[in-house]
Amino acid sequence: MSGIDVRGLGKRFGERVAVEGLTFHVRPGEVFGLLGPNGAGKTTTVRMLTGLLTPSEGEAVVWGHRADRDGEGLRKVVGLLTEQPGLYERLTARENLRFFMKLHELDESKAWPRTQHYLERFGLGGREEEPVGGFSKGMRQKLAIVRTLVHDPRVIFLDEPTSGLDPESARTVRDAVAELASEGRTIVLCSHNLSEVERLCERVAVVKRRLLLMGPVRELRRSGQSLDVRVDGEAERFRNALTSLPFAPNVLAEGMRLRVMLEDEAHAPDVLACLVGAGARVHSAVPAQRPLEEVYLDLLREEGA
Amino acid sequence: MAFRPRRALAVFWKDFLDLRKNVGLLVSMAVLPAVMVLVPIVVVWTYVNTPNRADLRSVAQFYDPTLPLGASAARFLIDKTLTDWFGLFLVMPVFVPILIASQSVAGEKERRTLEPLLASPVTAAELVAGKSLAALVPAVVITWVAFIIFCVGVDIVAWPMVQGPLMPNALWTFGVLVIAPLFAFFGNGVAVLISARVSEARMAQQISALVVLPLVGMVGGQVAGVLKAGLGFYALQGAVVLVLDVVLLFASIRLLDRERLVSRWG
Repeated sequence: MSGIDVRGLGKRFGERVAVEGLTFHVRPGEVFGLLGPNGAGKTTTVRMLTGLLTPSEGEAVVWGHRADRDGEGLRKVVGLLTEQPGLYERLTARENLRFFMKLHELDESKAWPRTQHYLERFGLGGREEEPVGGFSKGMRQKLAIVRTLVHDPRVIFLDEPTSGLDPESARTVRDAVAELASEGRTIVLCSHNLSEVERLCERVAVVKRRLLLMGPVRELRRSGQSLDVRVDGEAERFRNALTSLPFAPNVLAEGMRLRVMLEDEAHAPDVLACLVGAGARVHSAVPAQRPLEEVYLDLLREEGA
Repeated sequence: MAFRPRRALAVFWKDFLDLRKNVGLLVSMAVLPAVMVLVPIVVVWTYVNTPNRADLRSVAQFYDPTLPLGASAARFLIDKTLTDWFGLFLVMPVFVPILIASQSVAGEKERRTLEPLLASPVTAAELVAGKSLAALVPAVVITWVAFIIFCVGVDIVAWPMVQGPLMPNALWTFGVLVIAPLFAFFGNGVAVLISARVSEARMAQQISALVVLPLVGMVGGQVAGVLKAGLGFYALQGAVVLVLDVVLLFASIRLLDRERLVSRWG
């Protein structure tokens, strides 16, 4: 079976439960976001799915390889970009990449042209013979991404892939991720950069030891809408009037703009009536989807409460 | 999981390449062989150039009260020095792999390269084999080269007195060709084992280096005249170390277990 199939996956370290009861499926060609606060179990989950840790319970099948029985086979088909680039600084870029080609027992004459393509794509062409110790943080990150791809993996796990990259390089990486997915690879993206997740992922799962929520990004954003209102003068003075409404919405005020978070679209007329009643001159009121970041933070707040 | 020599050789290739570019480590590796070779040559040269000093006989008789009056005390002390020095010489094949293996195993943790490495198909046995080779090959080559220089040096300075080659003798030849590699394996095994447990290469080196103390102690016993070590003694020592090598090999493979390393250091 291609893609990733996870059922009731869990991991304990002694008495401590790191992850429990995870169930999800990622299709080939899909970019899937794995979100959660620090210590939520994302790294443990990725390590189980890349054959680095053996699950304590449940089952995970990655591109046809069971994580608990066939770690070696699994590691041949997955590529892992770790949070730290983890490169050998005294070695050149080429030597770093050749090492991983050798570990994967690749025919270097065949693997190198493909790798060279990625090097060029990430702006590292012509820097192959330089020691990695002299590379900038961004160059190291890009080289680590190329290393993740040397063996042409079918499933790719990317932990903060654009960390330390300038906007242009970050865009190159995002384009590359989309291209890799379009080639039918399964991609799991772990990131705290939620706008990036929003742009790249079709679906996301939010974990905090267990699965809190999973679904298409579009639907998650729709699940909590907001109303963007532009008023005359300082918007802040209408905040109290709005928060005293029976459904007590969260309100953000900035300059002449108010963003009112709504649980239910039907509350929009009440918000406008409240503002007019409080003496506001309303210029415009536009319904908007909430950014993924707000959906995510609300979810964690609810979980914390 | 089948053992794939190509993957073990890949680890060896990378570690050896990294070692060649690590100037600091190469310098520290060169100091010990230089001392091990130069000191005994200077001692032998001193005996050869001052054979009639009165106190030499007293020293010789301390070690062998039956030394005949007509026998040369200087010559006796040259032989004694060469025999005793072999014990110290063994420190080199133990110590050099400790320097290298500590860097290569604990160094992976320090540089955060362990997780990408473990995410590749390489197995624990291949990792141990590759890293051990990268530590053993330089250690054994350095020991053999140092031995050749040592033999040539001793023979040159002793020639005026002995009028023939003193080295290599049976003890040194057997010791350097057979026992030294076993000791190198031992030093490497200890370093791999300790590196798997600690977070820093320096700490791994410091703790692993303690294993040379028994060797130094034995040489101290020889110099103090309480221990007489010859070919048989070292052959027995080699047999004990061989058993320890096997134990260390299996313990290293067990400790370099992927799950253990990742959950602790990844």
